[in-house]
Amino acid sequence: MLEVSGLTVRFGGLTALDGLQLRAAAGELLGLIGPNGSGKTTFFNALTGFVPVSGGQVRFDGKDITGAAPRRVAACGIARTFQRLRLLSELSVFDNLMLGLHLDLPHGPWVNLFARRRLAAAVRERAAEARELLAVFSPALAGRLAEPLRALPMIDRRRVEICRALVRAPRLLLLDEPSAGMTPDETAALMDDLHAVKARRPGTAVILIEHDMAVIERVSDRCLVLDYGRRLCEGSFAAVSRDPEVRRAYLGEA
Amino acid sequence: MPVAAWPALAAVAIGAGLAAALLLVHHKAAVLAVLAVGAALLVVAQRTRAGERAAASAAAHPRLVPVAVAACGLGLVMLLREDNFALLMLCTVALQTLAALGLHLQFGYAGVANFAGAAFLGVGAYTAAVLGGHLPSVLVLVTGAGLAALAGLLLALPLLRTRGHYAALITIAFGLLLRTFLEVNDTLGGPQGLKVPGFTLGGLAFNDAIVFDEDTEWSFYVPYAVLALALLGATHVLVRRLERSWIGLALDAVRVDETAAAAFGVNGGAWKIAAFCVGNALCGLAGALLAMVTGFVAPPSFAFGDSLVLVSIVILGGIGNPLGLLPAAFLVVVLPEKLQGLQEYRFLLFAVLVILVLRLRPGGLLPRRLRRWPGLP
Amino acid sequence: MLAQHLFNGLMLGVIYALVATGFTLFFGVMDVIKFSHGDVVMLGAFTALATYAAASGAGITHPALLLAFMLAAALGVMALLGALMARVLVLPLRGAPAINVLLITLMAGTAIRESVRLFYPQGSNPKPFPRLLPEGAFEAGGFTLRYDSLILLGLGLAAIAATGLLLERTRLGLAIRAVAQDPETAAVMGIPFRATVLATFALGSALAALAGVVNGLYYSEVNFGVGLLLGAIGFSSAVVGGLGSVWGAVLGAMVFAALQTAGALVVPGGSAYRDVFAFGAVIALMTWRPAGLLAERSAERV
Repeated sequence: MLEVSGLTVRFGGLTALDGLQLRAAAGELLGLIGPNGSGKTTFFNALTGFVPVSGGQVRFDGKDITGAAPRRVAACGIARTFQRLRLLSELSVFDNLMLGLHLDLPHGPWVNLFARRRLAAAVRERAAEARELLAVFSPALAGRLAEPLRALPMIDRRRVEICRALVRAPRLLLLDEPSAGMTPDETAALMDDLHAVKARRPGTAVILIEHDMAVIERVSDRCLVLDYGRRLCEGSFAAVSRDPEVRRAYLGEA
Repeated sequence: MPVAAWPALAAVAIGAGLAAALLLVHHKAAVLAVLAVGAALLVVAQRTRAGERAAASAAAHPRLVPVAVAACGLGLVMLLREDNFALLMLCTVALQTLAALGLHLQFGYAGVANFAGAAFLGVGAYTAAVLGGHLPSVLVLVTGAGLAALAGLLLALPLLRTRGHYAALITIAFGLLLRTFLEVNDTLGGPQGLKVPGFTLGGLAFNDAIVFDEDTEWSFYVPYAVLALALLGATHVLVRRLERSWIGLALDAVRVDETAAAAFGVNGGAWKIAAFCVGNALCGLAGALLAMVTGFVAPPSFAFGDSLVLVSIVILGGIGNPLGLLPAAFLVVVLPEKLQGLQEYRFLLFAVLVILVLRLRPGGLLPRRLRRWPGLP
Repeated sequence: MLAQHLFNGLMLGVIYALVATGFTLFFGVMDVIKFSHGDVVMLGAFTALATYAAASGAGITHPALLLAFMLAAALGVMALLGALMARVLVLPLRGAPAINVLLITLMAGTAIRESVRLFYPQGSNPKPFPRLLPEGAFEAGGFTLRYDSLILLGLGLAAIAATGLLLERTRLGLAIRAVAQDPETAAVMGIPFRATVLATFALGSALAALAGVVNGLYYSEVNFGVGLLLGAIGFSSAVVGGLGSVWGAVLGAMVFAALQTAGALVVPGGSAYRDVFAFGAVIALMTWRPAGLLAERSAERV
């Protein structure tokens, strides 16, 4: 579904991504690992149009989306989370989830300003869907739909962020280190959540950046190790963790 | 359990009563007394959670409350029907609030700070001066709004390419530029300004006093006040609806985190420009009607200080909360007129007030609440 | 004729550069725009004027001595005021949206402007500024070079050069540059953040006072409203050059002065439209280069 070939990103003299090759198929969960600064987040940013691409190609469902603007990437059905949560903390949980649905919502003046009954019906319907989605992760969270986001604990904020990316049923989901800043208990809960994601959207491809090897081991179907912006090796977690080069570059450090 | 309607109605009545009292009293001590009563009521409302009850009650009666507000507005105009000066102030308050609603749309929702509000007011006002008498008055108002939006559109590209301080500078530069332009341009009257023909509608000239018989004569400001209040009311309802809709959500997302919004397909630039243009159109509309009310336009009314007054109204009222704009505009417009000693000191006073609010209560006097979606409890 | 315009433009550019340097310094250390800066320029000029009145009242007549007193008072008082404003208005708003700092300083500027208008004796009228520099001029063809202008130009250039040296050669300059780069790391290295910020605001405000006095001496007049325009021009210059770089600010100031001078010459209708032309050009410039002319260097601030 996603085919990345020779993707290169340069910041001035620094090469953050150096001819990256990567494929992800529908329904698989690809773990993306590598030391700090190896280009994982840069890959997400290049894929979603937040940093300019210097070379190479990105094809999604056969379409060339190399260097496409974030809006166009989103319209293709690619959704992402951010390493440092980028939620709208002064708005409600519902508002945050509905941002994920932006491209499916009507924005014409008539529907929004005058057809208030129709709008109210649509809002009720969306809220029911949102509750149902949140309940997959945590029944308690579903009851807090109308609360301000800043009232939630860290784990629930992560969940809201993942739900915001899921709400429009994306074909490719990019998760940027969801366990960052979580306690071990919360990380364990997060692993269950990721299984829930896969169960709920079996056709969705997921690429997961993660530092916590236990998470990668438990949830990933396949791993790709990045080092200095290049693919170091690829395969099952077991195979990758035995690779001597990987041990030297990454696991040995830890 | 159904929520009673009376707390909302009481709040509307108290507000209208305070407004009427402030407009009617002349003596300095009486003005201060009205202010003291208003402040005391505000404190009581906060302490006893009466404000929240009124808000809940207003939300439960979405049809009744606007009717009550309209009735109170009409009642106020009728009460003041022979008092030219009070009605002029009422018109000014309503139209400044209308312009502030425009800025509120830009800054409070889309996050575009506009330090040239008075300049866009000026575009509308000068449109009324130049076109008045040549076109039907309603068309003049519409053209004033449209030209103000168009003038803002000139800044669309610069505003899209810059952000933060740089974008603020663009509007400041534009405001100074326009004011200087008006001052030196002879076809627009130069420093002396221009006369503005009054508003006419189907043979009814708003600038004529309404004479019933020898003893009963209403001020010619009565129709102006009704028109200004009606425009303000309709716009307020629309802005409120806009906030509680998918459009309001998109604007909020652009303001809070444009990057995150873009990741979900939000076209931040388009939303900002749309909010900027609609906001400027409201300023232009207010400016055109204000010019007809006062019958006269000149560059000093559209200076940087006046733009700052508009910004002050938005901040004092509560950033993102349109309900606070009317009382804020009331204080900013009426107080200096009523306390003649204060007139000289008004810019200083507002400046100090805004500094205090930003230091002590950064959300404004009436901070914004979470969005109340239609259809959700 | 051309030389005359060049010299006048250069003189304007130096005044603007003094103002713009303050903007760029503040932005460097705190990432804020302090919009009251133009009114500090104006207040500096009025402080000098008040000192002149007091000193002449006390019987001092020697022009150099008077000027020294005026400069000392204006620079000292404005430096204190700058530090005070940083302490009361800017530092407490750290972490608040940047626009709030812009707003609060805009309002502080309005408060200063209005206070001068209301409380300085006949503050709303333009005030004659004393001519304390040697009179006379050097003439060649149509070119007139007033000695006092030459002295002012030298004074301004010297102040800018001194600021540049201070930033590059002294401990304080090192501290300012370190804080501008990265406040956290600077704090780890033992550079006191608050003290450095206060010193930066004092320095920038002293430069503003100097700009006010130079402006007053050059035009032989000050009025309470001059700060608004000078502030907007200084801000524009700093932005055009690329906020955060002192040399960018100087370049921006020269560009603005050149635009104004060219505007007065080229635009039909003459000098009346020079500000319209200059601000229009600034908007166009910022559309073309949104991060300023020296954008590549904006990463290394100050």
